[in-house]
Amino acid sequence: MAKLNVNICGVDFKNPVIAASGTFGFGKEFDEIYDISCLGGISTKGLTLEPRLGNPTPRIAEAHGVILNSVGLQNPGVDAFLRDDLDFLKGKHIAIVANVAGRTLDDYAGICARLDGLVDMIELNISCPNVKCGGMAFGIRPESVKEATRVAKSALKHTPLMVKLSPNVESIPANARAAEEGGADALSLINTLNGMVIDIERRRPFFANVTAGVSGAGIRPIAVRMVWEACNAVSIPVMGMGGITCAEDALQFILAGAAAVQVGTANFSDTLAMPKIIEGLNAWLDAHGVADINELRGALQLG
Amino acid sequence: MYEIKARVVSNAPVVPGVYAIYLRIPEAIDIRCGQFLNLSVGDGAHLLRRPFAIFSYDREARVVGVCYQLKGEGTRLLSERRAGDELACVLPLGNGFSIGEAQKRVALIGGGVGIFPLLSVLSEYAGCEKHFRSYMGFRNAAAVPSFTNFDKRSDYVAIATDDGSYGTKGTSVSAFFADLTQANPDVILACGPTPMLRALKAGLAERNIAIPCFVSLEERMGCGIGACLVCVCKKSGSEENVRVCKDGPVFDINEVEI
Repeated sequence: MAKLNVNICGVDFKNPVIAASGTFGFGKEFDEIYDISCLGGISTKGLTLEPRLGNPTPRIAEAHGVILNSVGLQNPGVDAFLRDDLDFLKGKHIAIVANVAGRTLDDYAGICARLDGLVDMIELNISCPNVKCGGMAFGIRPESVKEATRVAKSALKHTPLMVKLSPNVESIPANARAAEEGGADALSLINTLNGMVIDIERRRPFFANVTAGVSGAGIRPIAVRMVWEACNAVSIPVMGMGGITCAEDALQFILAGAAAVQVGTANFSDTLAMPKIIEGLNAWLDAHGVADINELRGALQLG
Repeated sequence: MYEIKARVVSNAPVVPGVYAIYLRIPEAIDIRCGQFLNLSVGDGAHLLRRPFAIFSYDREARVVGVCYQLKGEGTRLLSERRAGDELACVLPLGNGFSIGEAQKRVALIGGGVGIFPLLSVLSEYAGCEKHFRSYMGFRNAAAVPSFTNFDKRSDYVAIATDDGSYGTKGTSVSAFFADLTQANPDVILACGPTPMLRALKAGLAERNIAIPCFVSLEERMGCGIGACLVCVCKKSGSEENVRVCKDGPVFDINEVEI
């Protein structure tokens, strides 16, 4: 058995496979299928200070190798999470990453202060493409990435801050550096790509919100490239995600420099995707004589 | 809920554009009427599974049956699966239908492929001293499936078609209201397209009928197990959403906005 645990800014993950925000709720439903304590961690459904109802249905569509979603940050609010879900997750002894979103800088400061010291890590969602004020506005320009990060960081005394970057930007390295300069302890990327589906019979956009977030296996090469760019730009740890379906996919991100990976859409295609990826990593490392997954981090050879 | 690999037993059209697929599951499990499964179409380019109501379950043979309408590329691919193919799925999902002990007279109202979950009700309550009256609506004569045996298991069956090419001209809802006095049901169970369910809700409200009525809803789903909040509908009179896959798919008709 290879060593799979990774440490990211002081937080121990028993393995580098973490459920991506929005695809896994707060873990209870998947736990009815398998014991989620086998996971490295979970990034919760995006939380806001107040409950949100989200976007109109339909909220999901499919294209070759990808899906599009437009859920729009429906969530019960941070207080309901703390009341109804946190104890369940703590009982699972997995790293708990709270994904948080807001409309204003004050929202980000408020929700970070509310969660400080209660979860293992905050993932700052400044990149949700599906709500007008879901933070995406903060995630585009390096200046606002830095400012949102700084505001969130100043509200946190105990819990490390990870900033989730949008792929729908001019420069990943510039935004990665901006988050680092703003005080981020880690980065995660990529959030979904902006996409659109048109219903040709109705001559209307398929989604009420017109555009939606593209994810799934088909976006993986784009995600690997962006994670590699981010890892080269900063010295803080990076969690990579985007279209990971198996251990071999996850290893591409780790070789590109990611300390851990998040798995999202694959949970829809196979509810056991994450336990299979963890087993697959073990098997791959053993078969290749690698004793510790950390040896592979950033081990990409160029030229 | 179980993540399993099911083996296709058969997969063939029952009427033009509607297929019945029978799947053998590895172990016998409990499945209630009105529950559904979330089925892979069996190729890597289609990442979403398709949720289909389970209309038949032979526990001894471990075979579940679902019917699906050819709607797009995913269901077309599914229709090409042959006996022996393996398809991943999660089941059983959702709350399903239930009929109270005191509810003896049951009205079943189905439209199009929405009739299939109601078949599972007839099977589950066979021999339970329930009296069923079934109202089925279809587009036309060609869409009326022959294998369902609604007539053998119901005291009364009305079939309506939009164009009158089979049974009476009209809808399953109009057929139900025409028979309402005679039927005097203790409970109504319905499944079908949204306009049908809206007509049922409106018809009950207009007539001030307070008979308990439960409807099975359809919505595009992501995970199918309640985690992703893709398949929601609004709870009546409140600023709250319910999840079709986990809180439903069966709801009190007055509980949700249709």
